[in-house]
Amino acid sequence: MKFAFMCKKGQAGGRGKVAVVGGGPAGLAATGYLVCYGYEVDVYEKLPLAGGMMMFGIPPYRIHRDSITEGIEDLEKNFGVKFSYRTKVFCGEPRHDEGDEFINNLIDLKKIVNEYDAVLLTTGIWSSRRLGVPGDNAKGVFSALEYVYSWWTYELGYTTHKPPVGNKVVVIGGGYSAIDAAEVALMKGAKEVYLTYRRTIREAPAGEYEVRRVVSEGVKWVELIQPTKVVVSNDKAVGVEFVKMRLGEPDETGRPRPVPMPGTEHVIEADMVLAAVGEIPTPPLNTECDGVKVDPKRKTIIVNERMQTGIEKVFAAGDVVTGPSMIGKAIGSGLRAATHLDHFLRAKKVV
Amino acid sequence: MDLETFSKYGGVNRVINYDVCIGCYTCEEVCSFIHEGKGYIVLYDIGGGLNKPISCFHCAKAPCVTACPTGAMHRDKDGAVLVDISKCIGCSACLAACPFGIPEIIPPGFATKCDLCNPLRSEGLTPGCVSMCPTRAIVWGTTAEVAKELRVRALKKLIYKPVP
Ligand SMILES: Cc1cc2nc3c(=O)[nH]c(=O)nc-3n(C[C@H](O)[C@H](O)[C@H](O)COP(=O)(O)OP(=O)(O)OC[C@H]3O[C@@H](n4cnc5c(N)ncnc54)[C@H](O)[C@@H]3O)c2cc1C
Ligand code: SF4
Ligand code: SF4
Repeated sequence: MKFAFMCKKGQAGGRGKVAVVGGGPAGLAATGYLVCYGYEVDVYEKLPLAGGMMMFGIPPYRIHRDSITEGIEDLEKNFGVKFSYRTKVFCGEPRHDEGDEFINNLIDLKKIVNEYDAVLLTTGIWSSRRLGVPGDNAKGVFSALEYVYSWWTYELGYTTHKPPVGNKVVVIGGGYSAIDAAEVALMKGAKEVYLTYRRTIREAPAGEYEVRRVVSEGVKWVELIQPTKVVVSNDKAVGVEFVKMRLGEPDETGRPRPVPMPGTEHVIEADMVLAAVGEIPTPPLNTECDGVKVDPKRKTIIVNERMQTGIEKVFAAGDVVTGPSMIGKAIGSGLRAATHLDHFLRAKKVV
Repeated sequence: MDLETFSKYGGVNRVINYDVCIGCYTCEEVCSFIHEGKGYIVLYDIGGGLNKPISCFHCAKAPCVTACPTGAMHRDKDGAVLVDISKCIGCSACLAACPFGIPEIIPPGFATKCDLCNPLRSEGLTPGCVSMCPTRAIVWGTTAEVAKELRVRALKKLIYKPVP
């Protein structure tokens, strides 16, 4: 990927200093735009390498890592972008998000806002929704995101802790994370992998094709079931109790609402449970920071139509603004935010 | 290849390696960003939850160029197929001729299609979709370069075993 796709060399600097918080696709695309317009950009990233979900979520056999590192190195070597890794930026009492075990430094967001001409927040969705059933904190229960990034950080040599393989694995969910977690669990040597979803294959957000693909690899697909509890013995998960579902009236999303059928409870044995029931935005602040506000329900950063937060020189883009989406949408969002940021700083100079 | 051969048979082309494309919308988003909100490489839902992009192939013997009665649809010096809107009368002959339904007629009435990022190419840069595709699914170059790249990929698939 060439994030600075709009120029060969950066324009001689002097346009201003910008901090990008979060080096995923949204942050990197914005960085590429800004260096082409002569800005000096520093990227703050809590993980040991940039790329975000492209690097640590999506499996390397789908996106080759060298395609991403090539783009990061181009920004570093040819455009003077400074990456501060293992550095979490936060305002106030830091919340624990997934991937935080790699952090060495904590920087106050207010300090960054003071030191730069403008700031872009692109911190993504690094927190997984819990299953919300009894036993969901037992040993052997992981979030899908945690499970996949543990493998990729291990394989890249950022940790010596080898993730568990699992014998009988139950994955809960029907989106990309569920598919990836199921496929990775199987590839890493699990004997049996169940991919379970509360609606049918037709409603699965990852799509019928993807489900059929992992089924052809050996994953067992079970639809119309929902977990009621994790069966625990000696603090360890030994199975998941499910209830069968039927499709009811369409809900607010237009999809048929899954309705539990009492009396159909049954247990699927498992020594590993991977919850892929959605990721939540992780802004670098709790509820408010000097005017930057988080939507209390969606946990997204609130921005206006110019992608500006409550502080006029602080912009936000990507999944932390839209909620879980896709690489391309995050890149588009990052590019648009960079344009608004550029217009904002130019207008200020003129005045 | 000399200029004359280029203009007759095309020089560059671009293919999408659908095997490796993950349908992530990066190409469409980057394209529409570059072209003020209008994307010329666009993904469509083809059923089963699969979304894949399609755009102009910049064909070597482009039927749209042959069909165009005014010479608006033409080939530039690199071999990319472009519309000269000052000559275009919006007759849709190119659309009817294109096997892939690529040219579109937009208000006030001229054809529009992928220009392989003409402004970027004129500065020696690569089209935006090619630069930004995370899976390197979009291959661009002279027909010989594209063929070589696809052959090397085919070889790698034949020779390397998938790593677990
Ligand atoms: C398992 C999985 C599979 C997916 N598969 C696909 C797919 O196949 N196709 C597709 O298009 N999309 C897929 N997606 C979605 C896609 O990855 C995201 O939409 C996209 O990466 C969002 O980009 P972003 O830049 O907004 O955020 P992210 O990619 O999440 O990047 C955010 C970055 O900010 C860093 N960060 C977070 N908080 C802080 C902080 N406080 N301080 C400093 N740094 C911080 C994070 O470490 C991360 O590097 C998948 C997502 C997951 C979880
Ligand atoms: S950017 Fe590449 S992988 Fe993504 S949709 Fe386009 S061609 Fe496919
Ligand atoms: S518009 Fe259609 S016919 Fe013309 S060059 Fe493109 S793909 Fe070929």
